[in-house]
Amino acid sequence: MPEATAVPTPRPHPLAPVQVSLGASFRTMMHWSLAATGAMLPLIVLIQAMLAAGIIIGFGFVIPDITPASALFLSSGAPTILLLTIGLVIVPQGISRAKASGAFDYQRALPVARPLLLLVDLVVWALIALPGVAVGLLVAWLRFDLTFSFDWPLLILASLLVTTMATAVGYAIAVSLQPMLAQMVSQVLVFFVLLFSPITFPASQLPDWFQTVHAALPIQPAADLMRAGIASGSFTADARDLLVLALWTALGLLITTRALVRRK
Amino acid sequence: MDTDVLRITALTRGYGKVVANDDISLRVRPGEVVGLLGHNGAGKTTLVSQVVGLLKPHAGTIQVGQVDAVRHPGAARRHVALQAQSQTPIDGLTPRSAIEIAGRLRGLSSRDARASAVDLAEELDIGPWLDQRALPEGGGLSGGIRRLTGFAMAVAAPTALLILDEPTNDIDASRRRLLWDAVRRRGDLGSGVLLVTHNVAEAERIVDELIILDRGRVVADGSPAHLRGTQDSDLRLELQLPPDGADPSEEELELPVLRRVRTGRRTLLTVPAAEAASAVAWATAQRAENRIDGFSLAPATLEDAYLALTVHADPDADRTADPAPDPAPSHQETAHA
Repeated sequence: MPEATAVPTPRPHPLAPVQVSLGASFRTMMHWSLAATGAMLPLIVLIQAMLAAGIIIGFGFVIPDITPASALFLSSGAPTILLLTIGLVIVPQGISRAKASGAFDYQRALPVARPLLLLVDLVVWALIALPGVAVGLLVAWLRFDLTFSFDWPLLILASLLVTTMATAVGYAIAVSLQPMLAQMVSQVLVFFVLLFSPITFPASQLPDWFQTVHAALPIQPAADLMRAGIASGSFTADARDLLVLALWTALGLLITTRALVRRK
Repeated sequence: MDTDVLRITALTRGYGKVVANDDISLRVRPGEVVGLLGHNGAGKTTLVSQVVGLLKPHAGTIQVGQVDAVRHPGAARRHVALQAQSQTPIDGLTPRSAIEIAGRLRGLSSRDARASAVDLAEELDIGPWLDQRALPEGGGLSGGIRRLTGFAMAVAAPTALLILDEPTNDIDASRRRLLWDAVRRRGDLGSGVLLVTHNVAEAERIVDELIILDRGRVVADGSPAHLRGTQDSDLRLELQLPPDGADPSEEELELPVLRRVRTGRRTLLTVPAAEAASAVAWATAQRAENRIDGFSLAPATLEDAYLALTVHADPDADRTADPAPDPAPSHQETAHA
């Protein structure tokens, strides 16, 4: 086989290791991740719009003679549902798929600090999820002709924190459970968020013990915080909401970072 | 200073009771292509996963350049480029943008990364697909083009240690040849290459050293010539056995056989060149009596030695389905002795 050019070369020195700044790695990984997930963006916005319509118009059918007060409650809850659905359902499904296909480990084998992979995903999923806030409010406005009283700084902070919390917890579910189990858990979470969480109805309608459970879960604080940002004239949030959300975010990030960095 | 780019010592790793890597030691020097051969499940991918910090060894050391890869996996990864056995995730990207991204991640400037993509498209003959987008569920680009893109991403920038895990899967014969040459070239340019494959016959042409793994252990290592272990002039008589599997060479065989390996419905006999005529005569007679379905005589290859080392006597371990039987020699029905 003459073309096998096994010319004995003088042994060179080992080549230099990769030296890339964190910023450059981040930009390149963002580019990659946006290209991979970006194709889904129009579809996800469409799903968010349909989900918002389902919540706002559909729940309107369940409650006949809806009062302006309950219409505002329903409408100011819809964006939270959309953000939580992306983070707790679509994120774990995407990560589970990446784990099954080997894409997850491929990225972990790159010469990139592994926590950076999580940061990139958090940013990309925030970009995907955040249009949901506008979509949800638009549908509500079209249906009920409401006037919102935005507290912009609070709304921006709440949207970012809720998205980050949901993505981090969703990520943690995907990295902690087998893909099949993660898929099932995320399916169950849809129903829990949609029907059994005080987002579109006041917590006072729940039995006492269930209110206690929700006080420790991040769902009600997320809803309260978002609501206070959307209709600041009618609702307020307190520091406890912020604290519970922050703790769940930290927990999700901790579990996920550990799973990304740890070798099996 | 002459440092190995990879030095593995007494590496051991198991999953539950199964020992996937059992006391493995090997080294890869700069400029050297080292083939890691073994059947499915021999422990090849487990070994690779430990080098890039996906799995933690239970015992042993891994040194990548000057870095202790067991203690500092993140630092070690900066010396390594891996083409994994699973398809490289490029959905949403074109081969051009995927190669550019890989180059950028390894420190190339935008301009160098663009040039690298163009050069690699030329080298691997994937130019026509360079701007075709890979779509989810395997759409847009074929498996072979995806695999070649994955290879191009691994070599987009020069790396001290290049690890290729079954790089020729899904790739057509002509581009496979381009790929092997490209692998050899990376070695000649100074990378140390660890090439994981079960494609013994093709890998033989480009490797400097071979390590044969079987059930997690190194069963042989050395240069291809050393491992072949026979004279260059020796011949391989391959018998295709009938479906019921009786092997006539087990009984009355008046040939001096240097080595005999049975794998599924094939028996490989290594015979000296001087016996070519009598080997053909014997095999022709067997075929006339329908005791074999067919036969071929060709120069002995490394594959024969490899099979001799890794085919097991007990039927459970007898891997009959060699996914890539070497097609070339079977055309050489007559010996050139």
